[in-house]
Amino acid sequence: MAHKADLSIDYLGVKCENPFFLSSSPVGSCYDMVKKAYEAGWGGVFFKTVGIFIADECSPRFDNNAKEATPWIGFKNMEQISDKPLEDNLQAMYRLKRDYPDKIMVASIMGSNDEEWTELAKLVTQTGADLIECNFSCPQMTSHAMGSDVGQSPDLVRQYSKAVSSATDLPVIAKMTPNLGNMEEPAIAAIEGGAAGISAINTIKSITNIDLEFKTAMPVVNGKSSISGYSGAAAKPIGLRFIAQMKQHPLLKNVQMSGIGGIETWRDALEYILVGSHNVQVTTAVMQYGYRIVSDMISGLSYYMEEEGFDKVEDMVGLALPNIIPAEELQRNFKIIVDIDHDLCIGCGRCYISCFDAAHQAINWDFENRRPTVNDECVGCHLCLNVCPVLNCITPGKILWKEDWKITPDEINFKTRYE
Amino acid sequence: MDRGEQRLSKVTAKNQLQGKEIKKDYLDEAVHGYNTRTAMEEAARCVLCYDAPCSKGCPADTKPADFIRSIRFRNFKGAAATIREANALGGCCAKVCPYDRLCEEACSRTGIDRPIQIGKLQAFAVDMERKFNMKILEAKKADKEKVACIGSGPASLSCASKLAREGYQVTIFEALDKPGGVLTYGIIPSRLPQDVVDFDIEKVKELGVEFVFNKKVGQDITLTELKEQGFKAFFIGTGLWKSREIDIPGINLKGVRNAIGFLKEARSGKGETKVEGNVIVIGGGDVAMDCAATAKLLGAERVTIVYRRTIEEAPADIAEIEYVQSLGISIITKFAPQEILGDDGKVAGLIARGTDDFSELKLKADTIVFAIGQEAEDMKKIAPIELNENGTIACDIAKGFTNIEGIFAAGDIVNGGKTVVEAVAQGKSVAESIMNYLSKKEGVN
Repeated sequence: MAHKADLSIDYLGVKCENPFFLSSSPVGSCYDMVKKAYEAGWGGVFFKTVGIFIADECSPRFDNNAKEATPWIGFKNMEQISDKPLEDNLQAMYRLKRDYPDKIMVASIMGSNDEEWTELAKLVTQTGADLIECNFSCPQMTSHAMGSDVGQSPDLVRQYSKAVSSATDLPVIAKMTPNLGNMEEPAIAAIEGGAAGISAINTIKSITNIDLEFKTAMPVVNGKSSISGYSGAAAKPIGLRFIAQMKQHPLLKNVQMSGIGGIETWRDALEYILVGSHNVQVTTAVMQYGYRIVSDMISGLSYYMEEEGFDKVEDMVGLALPNIIPAEELQRNFKIIVDIDHDLCIGCGRCYISCFDAAHQAINWDFENRRPTVNDECVGCHLCLNVCPVLNCITPGKILWKEDWKITPDEINFKTRYE
Repeated sequence: MDRGEQRLSKVTAKNQLQGKEIKKDYLDEAVHGYNTRTAMEEAARCVLCYDAPCSKGCPADTKPADFIRSIRFRNFKGAAATIREANALGGCCAKVCPYDRLCEEACSRTGIDRPIQIGKLQAFAVDMERKFNMKILEAKKADKEKVACIGSGPASLSCASKLAREGYQVTIFEALDKPGGVLTYGIIPSRLPQDVVDFDIEKVKELGVEFVFNKKVGQDITLTELKEQGFKAFFIGTGLWKSREIDIPGINLKGVRNAIGFLKEARSGKGETKVEGNVIVIGGGDVAMDCAATAKLLGAERVTIVYRRTIEEAPADIAEIEYVQSLGISIITKFAPQEILGDDGKVAGLIARGTDDFSELKLKADTIVFAIGQEAEDMKKIAPIELNENGTIACDIAKGFTNIEGIFAAGDIVNGGKTVVEAVAQGKSVAESIMNYLSKKEGVN
């Protein structure tokens, strides 16, 4: 698995050996952890957020969401910014940059007023860090002058971005909260305030599970709990959407993005790159599996680039953006009827149930032979493909035109296949 | 459907549930492979251990923990690369390894329910290698010494692959007309399909290894002649090709076969060979199981295995024993053959005596196959090397030095007959010895 292409990419003027970063979180909160991560192959780290405020954490502080037998579909955490003394964190950042000069150190900071932001910016600049990220987005701070309460206010984001960028020569990145409807507004405000880049998304405010005994959210902290940040695989679709939407905004299209949310594999990372990210940040998957997951990210992305003939990661940034269009612009005058392979079919009838109960009653069921057949009611929604448990048993088949249409079927690109 | 068929179909259904659908054709693989979805499901069962015991359980260091993790994180090509880099016969090992005694026995998941099906995941990754037409191994420029590998079985292929990658000019000399040794001639295709063998060998050829067929070293060509041709080191990986025999009345009757000859003929016949009547197989190893399954799948009416110890003591893989039983083959334990009955010069039956010295068994037979172990052919014909009492080559298993300078050996011919994966492991480590030897020699010159 030693396969390795040139994955280097220039990010805000800093040359990074690859686009794989740890996000600002428990996974990068001291010297020994980051050292191990660097040695495993991570290109850089957004060090655990430092502040004048020192966090006092609750116990327990995590929960995870499962579907059937798959745990960790989503993950909830109640941690805030660093609980270590500021001086220790500054020391760790300094030593890491000194010992690993080729790895990228991003200092993540969080203040509660202009003075704190300014002071923190100056302090972390002295550590030799390459970049500064402003954490405007932690949703579980015990102070409302910090975290996602700030990130939801474009005015505060603009103001603090300005305070930080005035206090340092380093490029500044603003980390966005997804706990709002429109991320473009605070992102534009950050750029107006002097930020050079945007990171998104921080965690989503959530209640993962309600405990039936104590009748509170999980985890139960002496009989009580709080709403707090949700992350992991389930967050990926939300993160991808925010990045794509920002990159499609005329005022943000040239701003470099750092993609965060549910990244576990090289494919997840590549998806963020294709919607316009220059790099990706990971925490939840590292909490679950460890730093070692980066080796398959490096190898998998290398193989993909080789297969597709890409020389540089940069060349793939944003390639999906022109193809993600408003719903009103989608072509709607054809339908793709499905084919069902009766040899592969195991006769479970799940497609029949879903089609009848949730779609268009377009599948007939042969009780004797236990086989489904598609009737004339099929609208081409492909719900059946989504529920079929057998790979490649139900596949897109004949194209039917809703009305007289000029182009030939060859010109239609479609894909609803599930691996 | 008569009762017997009904019962068999129940067995089949049960085995299907365990992912072991029974195929009824000699050339069909007995075990269904994974597709991307089912491979992911199995990989998702892996608990992704720290300091993974499965990886420690593989003699050839094929790193199951690494390739399973790659599959789980959707890096199928990376998984294939991990396997190919560590194990030149990754495809074959995926099919014939005794997993239940190696990596799968070590699997931590066993503490929850049952081990990860590592062999099937390995086969899936090798399928991906083939599907994507990957070229994982690269050979350095072949400007180093010439090395001759004698025999083209697992040990030789593994050794040759390693040497060729490091820039040695390797030629494999094979006595038969096809490469693979035991892989091609000694294992039933339902366990090891020929295309899997051919693919692994193709990967060795791609490294520039030359193959010379129908040349038995020591008979068709001598070591001295090879030295004259410029070969500087010799690797003996001939395996064990002489069937062990027992001297009982009737042993020379027509219809008494040895396991190797029987399997080789069936394999060469590509499924066309006919076996008829009642077949008795003597033995309790994988080879005996393969002979019995071969006989059944090629048309024998009734197949019976007679073994002198108990099932628990049988060296055969438990999966193989279950497989032959699922084919309707009975295994009679604790009986040793005493006499072969003849009729007009042909086999008519077998008399076996219980190891309790009391029980007696008389079975009708048209063919009796002896699968009671293989022995070394006369290795002195190759060179005057030191041998063990049983005819195997006397040398250190890991290093492979024989008593003659420049001659190395590994695999069954040294260890007396173990698994494919052990031969691969030894071939690989002896390649290191050969490289050390040649580089030191070069220094002296």
